[in-house]
Amino acid sequence: MKKLAALIAVLVLAAVAAVGLVSCGGGDSASGDGQKGGILDGTYGSFPDFMDPALSYTAEGWNAMGEVYLPLLTYKHAGGEEGSEVIPGLAKELPKISNGGKTYTLFLRPGLKYSDGTPVRASDFPYSVERMIKLNSPGAPFYLTIEGAEKFAETKQGPIPGIETDDKSGEIVINLEGPRGTFVNELGLLFVAMLPKGTPVEDLSADPPPATGPYMITESKPGKGWEYKRNPYWAKANGKAMPDLPGGVVDGAKITVVRNEQSQVADVEQGLYDWMQNPPPSSLYAEVKEKFDGSQFRVEPAISTYFFWMNTQEPPFDDVKVRQAVNYAVDSRALERIYAGQLVASHQVLPPGMPGYEEFDLYPHDMARAEELMDEAKPSDMDVTVWTDSESPNNEAGEYFNEVLKELGFNTTFKALNADNYTTVIGNLSTPNLDAGWGNWFQDYPHPNDFFQLLLAGESIQPTNNYNFAQFDDPAINKKIAKLATEQLGPQQEDAYGKLDREIMEQAPWAPFGTRTLSTFVSDEIDLDSVVFNPTWGQYLTSFEYK
Amino acid sequence: MERRAEAERGPWALALRRFLRNRLALAFLGLFALIVAFVLAAPLWANYVAETGPNQEHTVEQLTVDGEKKDVVTPEGKPIGPQWFGAGGKFFLGADGRLGRDEMVRLMYGGRTSLLIGITAALLATILAIVLGLMAGYFGGWVDSLIARALDVIWSLPVFLIGLAVGIALAVGGLDLGIVELSGGSLWIPIAIISVFTVPYIARPIRGEVLALSEKEFVEAAIAQGVGPLRVMFSEILPNLASTVIVFFTLMIANSMLFEAGLSFLGAGVQPPNSSWGTMITVGVELLRIQPLLAILPGAMIMLTVLSLNIVGDAVRDALDPRGKSRLDAALQFEAQAAATRPLGETSLP
Repeated sequence: MKKLAALIAVLVLAAVAAVGLVSCGGGDSASGDGQKGGILDGTYGSFPDFMDPALSYTAEGWNAMGEVYLPLLTYKHAGGEEGSEVIPGLAKELPKISNGGKTYTLFLRPGLKYSDGTPVRASDFPYSVERMIKLNSPGAPFYLTIEGAEKFAETKQGPIPGIETDDKSGEIVINLEGPRGTFVNELGLLFVAMLPKGTPVEDLSADPPPATGPYMITESKPGKGWEYKRNPYWAKANGKAMPDLPGGVVDGAKITVVRNEQSQVADVEQGLYDWMQNPPPSSLYAEVKEKFDGSQFRVEPAISTYFFWMNTQEPPFDDVKVRQAVNYAVDSRALERIYAGQLVASHQVLPPGMPGYEEFDLYPHDMARAEELMDEAKPSDMDVTVWTDSESPNNEAGEYFNEVLKELGFNTTFKALNADNYTTVIGNLSTPNLDAGWGNWFQDYPHPNDFFQLLLAGESIQPTNNYNFAQFDDPAINKKIAKLATEQLGPQQEDAYGKLDREIMEQAPWAPFGTRTLSTFVSDEIDLDSVVFNPTWGQYLTSFEYK
Repeated sequence: MERRAEAERGPWALALRRFLRNRLALAFLGLFALIVAFVLAAPLWANYVAETGPNQEHTVEQLTVDGEKKDVVTPEGKPIGPQWFGAGGKFFLGADGRLGRDEMVRLMYGGRTSLLIGITAALLATILAIVLGLMAGYFGGWVDSLIARALDVIWSLPVFLIGLAVGIALAVGGLDLGIVELSGGSLWIPIAIISVFTVPYIARPIRGEVLALSEKEFVEAAIAQGVGPLRVMFSEILPNLASTVIVFFTLMIANSMLFEAGLSFLGAGVQPPNSSWGTMITVGVELLRIQPLLAILPGAMIMLTVLSLNIVGDAVRDALDPRGKSRLDAALQFEAQAAATRPLGETSLP
């Protein structure tokens, strides 16, 4: 009789514990009928540039920290175009924009806590922005239009007068020097995720700061891997305050960096890892897709443009006819093959999925037309240097471009640089012979300005860290980019960005050739259908669940 | 009678006779000759059979094989495999990767590059080593110390890593020394790197041998007759180094080819779009699971060439030094004795 009572007591306790576990998580789970809990074993091809939200500017970093550190605004936890919608994060609602687009007013949600139990305060926001600027973060330029931020960046002496906060009401008022149409998107970037006041002003990659999201990073070994556990204050506070954000199904994750992509594929196939963050290598892509498409593998659209740039300031590419000839000569079909099916042909600046995108192709492949234009242009300087990064298949795309230019009669010198310093070298205008080369761009946020301002506006040309590789500086186009940048994005602006795309392609500073796709590849233990891929953040950790 | 006749033949004829008796060496010499003929025939094959150049891309083209159309590269990026003579010799070994270049043509041209670099680098290294070894061994004193220290420095460096770093740096910026200007893609860059870093391998034994020869009567007699140092070095001593030089030169070709393959495999040697067997392995490794031949073929070519050169080199050494007590051994022994009797603090090549 005693034994029976004990058994009943154990069963009742187990049931209570199970109910407690299931209800734990605050916001909605990622749904699905899969198993709750478990530790996800994932693998990345490389360690993020930084495991510090203020510093990271890579897809790996944003993917790793997107659900650990939340900004005031964030993006809807969804895939495709739906995932481009900006929604409130730590802020109660979207900002009230006043003063001719120069003042943004937000209110912090009440009761929020960091994973160490410290309350989240409105004054943490200016501290986080100042810390980011003091660290010379690559994201700092996005926020230099805040009043006084430019001076702060020079002197590193605070505070930034353009940010006013009230810890009691949670009010945050941001005053900009001028209207900025992209600022809402920029408030949703990881660079300005809230961190507690007093967080050391140093790279915290080895000792990540406390989290506000559903997961926290409990251990980080730069170069090797890191681990997540549930943020204990998500269930108690933050999750309840942010019901739109999912709390996650798995209890944590262990991420291991495996640099050999072929090994990663084999390990996921064998179930040694549950997920690989980076796409399979080009050499295995077709095989993986054929074998696992729909069950363990899925192609994901990425908002990106791959292109060949031409230096519009120097001969021979200072002649628009020569640039147009190159555009006619580049055959996107060849590049689709070179990227082994991971690239969809496109011949314009804006990629599909970006607001304002309207499909057109001014230069369908036509070698005869290309030669005709070359005959008309008769460039005097036929010696060009072609640059590319040495990572496959980008190096092959560069080799292809080199051959295209040879076919057009140029005498080419081919230079393949290590991918780690390619952008630095070609972004330094003192590098000799910056004639033409390979380039790509993935969106920072879903706003078309992101593809024009930095990459094609004359004012963005700078001696170092230059991203306007074509050194394109057309006064009429500069003016349009600058005007559109001050306006909030709406149907009219989207239309204007679409027209701007066409106008730029008429000048042909680039020969765009496609938009890259990414992928999700999981082991057979993971429910692929539950995994959500966001074009900005990649796969959400909260969406993984075991079958 | 027979011994007398043999003695009358002279050392070179005797060496040749001994070499011709070594059947294994002859077989591998034949193999090496075949490899050389194979790579020399590259333009013929490219122009008359494959009808394409080594860097010519056929990514979106189709091939008619036995009346059937086939993509050179499929839309998924898979290159066509060996077609043998199905397409009249075109893409005999398939395409080299996603750029759809003819693997056979690139293998032949790549071999020319690898052999050219191997032979030229070995030749340069040997010439440099002879000059340095002669000067160090003959003059001794501070000249010897200076050269010996310089060779020690190169010897002590992690040669491959330094070669890699220098190769990558020069591949980007080229080399501009005022009188010499090389572009980043020039073949002279890997040649220069390999020859400079392999000089000690030959210079050190040559120096030892020169030290031994300098004490011989015929050298002392020449000096006594008032012959100048240059003439003594090049007319009296150098001819006696011939066998050592020939042996080392043969072996250095093999070494240089391996060095080049390693550098090119890691992106610091031959630069794209040019091919060498090393760069072809790099491309092949990536496609190992779908087209293993792309890595195996250039790898096999390197292995066979290096193997044949090593076996021929060993046979030449045996032919020139049948007693197994080579001048080289003697030179090294002499150097060891000299080092043992040298005062503390004064060092030389080990």
